[in-house]
Amino acid sequence: MIRSVDRAARLLKALGSGTPRMGVTELAERLELPKATVYGLLRTLEQQELVQQDAETGKYRLGPALLQLGNSFLDGHELRARSLLWADSLASQVGEAVRVGVLHRPNVLIVHHVFRPDDSVQILEVGATIPWHACALGKAVAAFEGSACRAELLGGELVRLTGRTLIQAAALERELEEVAQAGVATEDQEAIVGEVEIAAPVFDHRGHPAGAIGVVGPVERVMPGEPAPAIVAAVRQVARGLSRDMGAGRVAVRGG
Amino acid sequence: MRAWIARLAASIADQRDFLTQLDAAIGDADHGVNMDRGFSAVVRELPDDEELPGALLDRAGRVLIYQVGGAAGPLFGEMFRGAAESFARAHALDAEAWLGGLRSALDGVQRLGAAVEGDKTIVDALAPAVGAFERMVRSGKDLAAATAQARDAAERGMKATIPIQARKGRASYLGPRSVGHQDPGATSTYLLFEALDRTVREAGA
Repeated sequence: MIRSVDRAARLLKALGSGTPRMGVTELAERLELPKATVYGLLRTLEQQELVQQDAETGKYRLGPALLQLGNSFLDGHELRARSLLWADSLASQVGEAVRVGVLHRPNVLIVHHVFRPDDSVQILEVGATIPWHACALGKAVAAFEGSACRAELLGGELVRLTGRTLIQAAALERELEEVAQAGVATEDQEAIVGEVEIAAPVFDHRGHPAGAIGVVGPVERVMPGEPAPAIVAAVRQVARGLSRDMGAGRVAVRGG
Repeated sequence: MRAWIARLAASIADQRDFLTQLDAAIGDADHGVNMDRGFSAVVRELPDDEELPGALLDRAGRVLIYQVGGAAGPLFGEMFRGAAESFARAHALDAEAWLGGLRSALDGVQRLGAAVEGDKTIVDALAPAVGAFERMVRSGKDLAAATAQARDAAERGMKATIPIQARKGRASYLGPRSVGHQDPGATSTYLLFEALDRTVREAGA
């Protein structure tokens, strides 16, 4: 490991940790490094526009080059790129929000989010991470992962996000078996009270789950008693189409 | 009970834009509008001939669940219905009855949301307020003293949500970006105790 690169990476993460601006002393304390070292790192990162110094306070914050890097990550993401049109069409078909996520153990990383098409103010969830066991996207992917990955997920910490979050590995394992049979996963207010999700896995050319696409919305519309059949059907259909776009063969395009 | 609910509804209506503005920073920018719609409906739909506090609160809780929507509807609805169960067993509308009601309200919210203090939610205002209320009642103070302390504790809890990172609800998806914003649910919870305190003081004066 190259120590200075590790330090620079830790410095960037510290600046991205919620405190919008930090001074050299504060950063040095946080990273347990000499002030001179932190200063040197900051000056080097500033030349690359990865950090910026505030002219008034002299404090540092993240720089504009990071937005370009973040966008490049999203642009280069194959599932996201291929899901754009499918997600739009799914959202307008069912009138609810759509999310696309990939497994970034032990979380699901949201790589695409289409707002509910009703002109209301909504918050963009791209970049958000949700514990895999608390969302339908995560369960949809986990159900089709290899047994080693599934065991690792089930053996990890299962945090409780609402009173309905499943946190017993045995119960989750049973649900994953049902998801594998049905080809579609549901989540009933397990991440946010009042909000539910219906999702299906997307497969790549090797037949592995590349991620999942799902409809997320209020319980009274998306899962009134049971999952709305029209939404389940639409999610399945879009996931199959997206899998074909990803190069998945007929065998991998499951759940019919 | 009826006076408190009416005052709370007026306070929510008054603070509607502020609540929505708080929610715009870390949520869907609908908290104020939804809460106002819910509490307006509660006031409209409270039966005139019903005076039992348990029945009034249960009715209010049901209307909130149905009308507010999102996460706030079920959570505030459960808060009222939890309190309703406890008030239904009480014999008088005294400090003991309120203590039982508030504790059941907190239980209801925590059962549904599984949040603890420090998660940047309703619980951050509700739990300390219930705790302060309980300490006052246990040390023999009257209802007015207890509601005043509960109001102050709720206010401190509400303000304490500003610097922390959300660990529950949609705001938690923002991770570090939720830091620096006051939680709208905790703010509405403070308004609830503020309205209760004012109602009790006016009744006593």
